[in-house]
Amino acid sequence: MATAKNARHHVVIGSGVAGSQAAETLREREPDARVTILTLSSLLFYNRYDLPKVFRGHRDWREFLAYPAEYYKDHRIEVRRCSRVAGVDGSRRAIALEHKEEIRFDTLLVASGGRGYIPEELTEYRPLMHPFSSYTEAVTAAGVVPERGHVIMLGGDMIGLDLARTLVDTRHRVTLVAGQQTFWPHEVSEDERPGLIAALEKMGVEVVEAADAGGIASIEKGARGLSARRVLFRDGTELYGDAVMPFFGLSPSVEFMLGSGVDIERGLLVNPALRTTSEGIYAAGDVCQIWSDADKRYRFFYGWKNVRAMGDLAARNIAGGAEPWVPAQDEKLHIGADGKIQSPFWEYE
Amino acid sequence: MGDIKPPSGAAETPTAAQREYLSDDPRDIGWVKQNVPCQTACPAGTNVPVYIREIIERQFGRSYETNREANVLPGVLGRICSRPCEAQCRHGWPGNGEPVAICHLKRVASDLKDAGHRITERLYSPTGKRVAIVGAGPAGVAAAHDLSLLGHDVVIFEREERPGGMLRYGIPEFRLPRDTLDIELHNALRLGVQMRTGAEIGNGAGQIPMAKLEQEFDALLLATGCMAASPLPLQGDWEKRALRGLEGVEYGLDFLVQMHRGEKKVVGKRVAVVGAGFTALDCARVAARLGAQEVTIHIRTAEEYIPVTQEEIFEAKREGVRIKGLRTPVGLTVEGNRLTGIEFVQNRLGGWRAGGRRQAIPIEGSEFHEPCDTIIIAIGQQTVNDFLGTGLELDRWGNVRVGEDGMTSHKGLFAAGDYVNGASTVIQAVGHGRKVARRIDAWLMGRERRKQVVRIVPVEQPLRERAFDFIPRQHMPTAQMAERMKDGRHEVELGLDEKLAFEEAKRCYLCNLRYEIDVDRCIFCRACIEVAPRNCIKLVRGVEINEDGAYGKLLETKEWNQVGAIWIDNNECIRCGQCFKACPVQCISISRCELTEVEI
Repeated sequence: MATAKNARHHVVIGSGVAGSQAAETLREREPDARVTILTLSSLLFYNRYDLPKVFRGHRDWREFLAYPAEYYKDHRIEVRRCSRVAGVDGSRRAIALEHKEEIRFDTLLVASGGRGYIPEELTEYRPLMHPFSSYTEAVTAAGVVPERGHVIMLGGDMIGLDLARTLVDTRHRVTLVAGQQTFWPHEVSEDERPGLIAALEKMGVEVVEAADAGGIASIEKGARGLSARRVLFRDGTELYGDAVMPFFGLSPSVEFMLGSGVDIERGLLVNPALRTTSEGIYAAGDVCQIWSDADKRYRFFYGWKNVRAMGDLAARNIAGGAEPWVPAQDEKLHIGADGKIQSPFWEYE
Repeated sequence: MGDIKPPSGAAETPTAAQREYLSDDPRDIGWVKQNVPCQTACPAGTNVPVYIREIIERQFGRSYETNREANVLPGVLGRICSRPCEAQCRHGWPGNGEPVAICHLKRVASDLKDAGHRITERLYSPTGKRVAIVGAGPAGVAAAHDLSLLGHDVVIFEREERPGGMLRYGIPEFRLPRDTLDIELHNALRLGVQMRTGAEIGNGAGQIPMAKLEQEFDALLLATGCMAASPLPLQGDWEKRALRGLEGVEYGLDFLVQMHRGEKKVVGKRVAVVGAGFTALDCARVAARLGAQEVTIHIRTAEEYIPVTQEEIFEAKREGVRIKGLRTPVGLTVEGNRLTGIEFVQNRLGGWRAGGRRQAIPIEGSEFHEPCDTIIIAIGQQTVNDFLGTGLELDRWGNVRVGEDGMTSHKGLFAAGDYVNGASTVIQAVGHGRKVARRIDAWLMGRERRKQVVRIVPVEQPLRERAFDFIPRQHMPTAQMAERMKDGRHEVELGLDEKLAFEEAKRCYLCNLRYEIDVDRCIFCRACIEVAPRNCIKLVRGVEINEDGAYGKLLETKEWNQVGAIWIDNNECIRCGQCFKACPVQCISISRCELTEVEI
């Protein structure tokens, strides 16, 4: 890849929606710059919202890629796959990879996204659950749920409920164990909640309120001849299913940024221009909390359109801009004329 | 009588033990302080690499005794230490992975030593001097132990019914089982220390005046800790309003002390804890055990910056506790005399405060309300001085002022632990108690009786394998949720078993091993540089000398005509032994360097 000798090196951590969009914009804005994406994934960029397709029989990874490999070559974007970042030194502008390689950068965009959050009280049951936040996890989950099988969905964030729509549509049985994270990231009032739960039931999802059963006591593996999983509640009631899938929202992937000099609360704290507290380091997507003058607080902005817009904005600002963040989509959850739930987070392109 | 010769008359190669020597060279003392970061970070100076090496050798009793030389409560600190050592562990440095679980290994030494294990103590003959200690917390107990070993007659005066101070009355049993505490307190105090519990110092009825102690004893040590909860600073109408007496308002320290005295404590369904230290976390976890349905800890900055261990935070979250950051309480809401919620203001992160804490800067106009029916205020603790009845010089925080010798403005009256330093940690209190005990001894005896030296022992070969560097940190097994929540006393952390302990111990770099290249024998073949996993072997033209006489910064060069030596940078070195094995002329030597004390 030919780049000018003194060209700047822009590194993007994360190859999701924000990271990929940022790389594309950086290439447009700075044709001579060196652009590198570091990603933990073994696959090139794919849209996570496509993953429910695995339950419709689509399992070939090629079908999920947003761009073919040639795209990156043509755009001179170097993608380093299976690269785990161990740490970032903001003062030296250096990234340490877990395999001991050091990568220097002129600007860094952290777009590492979030991983599926599992409440700490349930972490010991992690091996018995099937998460759904990557292609590999999606294919694994689809492999364990038989035709017309029964999925027990815990939490029920909007990513999970999107999957639930597909599962119901493909004649699977879905039981939602609802709790505080149901409808995440929408903030739902106590008045709105019963109507939304009723709409879910109308969509074919069975709903159990975890609090009514005293909360989840344990998750167990079924014995031979029984369903594969049992969820036991504190009041003694239980649910049997073929798979237990956790959907409790996302937890920002920020561990590798500890000690980097960047301020972190839950996510990386950024100003409206998406710049962190460290010179030359920006953040975009589900990993960052953006200062909101309107709300007088740092807050997350979710949704595919928002995340893509953040990637684009961060890249424009890295390339010399100073534009502030403006949300790209509304966040209101509502019930449509057909009585079903409609979320702006489900509107994909 | 002449030397005893071997029967054959043949010359024998001296063993490593025979070739060991003691050094008081400041370069050697400085080397240990610079290169063994865990020991340097430990306020008690615990010899961490040695006790971990003894665990690898499955010498658990010896490992426990190595701990006890610095800290008389290894089983206690192995459970509740704030772990300043792990924050400095070389294994946790960038690119090296996670720090060694030093604290868990301390507990291993305590848990896995033999029943009936023999305690080792170095006793001095009686001096006839009498020392009174006020307060049987960690500082007082550590000082009492050391002073009694040094031959002084020690009496501890303790206000509560049982010794232990904050260990017994401030830390919940699910973190520190009382049988462990009782055994180690007994071991610390059984060498003739008199314990007078229920004995309160002061000038009131039934109290013992300080003046009486000053008459009866040759020296006094105040170690009463910080036993008053700090008030919550609020704004507006709440600025001057008394919070005590409001239904639903608790102070964290009082809450825990009252509970451990045996009082029945009750909390509401929705509990908000304000504070960011171990006391706040303990209060939240106790509230969850008392049946609260929603427990939230509200902090001014963010989780990353609060002074508690990540494991404690994780366990609290497992128990249902949630942490909300970037907020400061500015007022309360009440109905009549009953609490209904808290008014907060949103913060942003500011710069760093002295002491390594982050600043929180309130954002004007960002006030918001959170409902709750119990608030537990755990934002800090203060000293209480009204029992003194005598004017001691205090610093601007209200803590008693002491000199370099640990003595207050009154001759013969010393002070130690939180009573001097303000609310700190148990290991800081233990370390300070020991330090002041040495000062008291020097004052009573008119001279220092011990001094610090470095024991240097040649080591024949590397004690580690490169493969050990890739072992992940072993996680502490914990009690199941159902078990721990049904009984507020059930210990949460179960301790590492022998297999886990062995794996974890192997991770320690053993930073007390000093690797050196004999430049006179080096053939500059670069074999060591080729196999080094880090940039730890350097071509240098010289070495700076620090003020204390220790070696300082290496002056590196890439010009061969300037190379004075190939030097192993022990700061970068992870003691993997690859260079030692690769050297074709065996010009690399290894020696173990340990801080120790000898009689003067």
